[in-house]
Amino acid sequence: MNCAEYRRLLLTEPGDTPVAMRTHVASCHECTQYTSRISRFEGRLQKALKVDVHGAPRGRVVSLQAERLRRRGKKSPLQTRGAAIAASVLLAVVGVGLLWLAAPGRSLAAAVVNHMAGEPDAWARTDLAVAEPKLEEVMSASGAHLLAGAGLVSYAHSCEFRGHLVPHLVVQTAAGPVTVMLLVHESVRRDVHFAEHGYSGVIVPLHGHGSLAVLERTPDAEPKAINAVAAQVVGALDWTT
Amino acid sequence: MKDSLRVNPERARFQALCEALRPDLLRFAFWLSRDRAVAEDVVQETMLRAWKAQDSLLEQSAAKPWFLTIIRREYARTFERKRFVTVDVEELVAKEEPMLAAADDQELTEMRAALFKLPDDYREPLVLQVLMGYTTAEIAAELGLSTAAVLTRLFRARKQLRALCGEDTSMDPEDS
Repeated sequence: MNCAEYRRLLLTEPGDTPVAMRTHVASCHECTQYTSRISRFEGRLQKALKVDVHGAPRGRVVSLQAERLRRRGKKSPLQTRGAAIAASVLLAVVGVGLLWLAAPGRSLAAAVVNHMAGEPDAWARTDLAVAEPKLEEVMSASGAHLLAGAGLVSYAHSCEFRGHLVPHLVVQTAAGPVTVMLLVHESVRRDVHFAEHGYSGVIVPLHGHGSLAVLERTPDAEPKAINAVAAQVVGALDWTT
Repeated sequence: MKDSLRVNPERARFQALCEALRPDLLRFAFWLSRDRAVAEDVVQETMLRAWKAQDSLLEQSAAKPWFLTIIRREYARTFERKRFVTVDVEELVAKEEPMLAAADDQELTEMRAALFKLPDDYREPLVLQVLMGYTTAEIAAELGLSTAAVLTRLFRARKQLRALCGEDTSMDPEDS
């Protein structure tokens, strides 16, 4: 084991020091010094994470519920401020709305990511394909079939998205499960790449058929790889309408 | 004794379990959401869901991971409902200042502010490891990641955190 390997392990699992690490540090003065620094850092980190929660409402589930209702029942500061502030807020809302309209691709990406966050169970890595009739049922609602070239589809569900039922699929790839949403009611003019809240992916236009969103549950998916998955699925779409 | 005053042993047992775990669950939810009010709501909902599903908790020793899984799902639901937008981290730090401040320990306060600035994907495995005592394999199972991915995130989390805290990083290994 060399110094770089030792220090990397120390920064990864500082509480775990196997024999190889102990042997290295016993003979390396610099790594001994480094270990002392990291040890002090870890001590501070542990203390920092233990924030004081004793001021929080305590006690029974029932009393917590009452506390929450009480807290929600309070008027927010905005409700009690004057008309000038309300006007400012209104202006801000209008401004944000205009920005939203100016960037439909970004807002669509945010909606896709929000939808994903609500379905954490759909991300299982598996080699079991969803039943063919189920896949057919989900896809046919959007006027499409999915041919075998799309890869192994392990999950297929019709999800409500912006007021429409859309196919939500999970395709198993070498890099892990990738989620695909067929958005026949949503259009984008060109590829929209995004990376938000731990997800990254792309929305590609399907001329005359809306768009297709492909995303991975990783903050830094390789654009080339995600484009390849999108192209693979797009190539496997067979439209019936 | 009147019926209304009788203590249901099952309820009392569950109540005691919630009481014992609540501080760490609240801390976990706080670091997950970086918002005390959201953390309290999430823990509250978690306990209600746990109460309804308590039959699925077969062993008391498995209670902590069981609650944590529910918290993560509940937070994802909250995320979906509230449609959080991207926020300024400095505003978040200022908003949660009472929670982050450590009396007479400026270094600790700075460390907490730095934790707020870590990307979610790095902060969560770090919190699971350091605060909740999870092993790498347990973190991988909880987050649905490979152990290699968890190790990478833990390494990057500490590297970034040390830099954010102004630590001397000249001896830190390079990110490969």
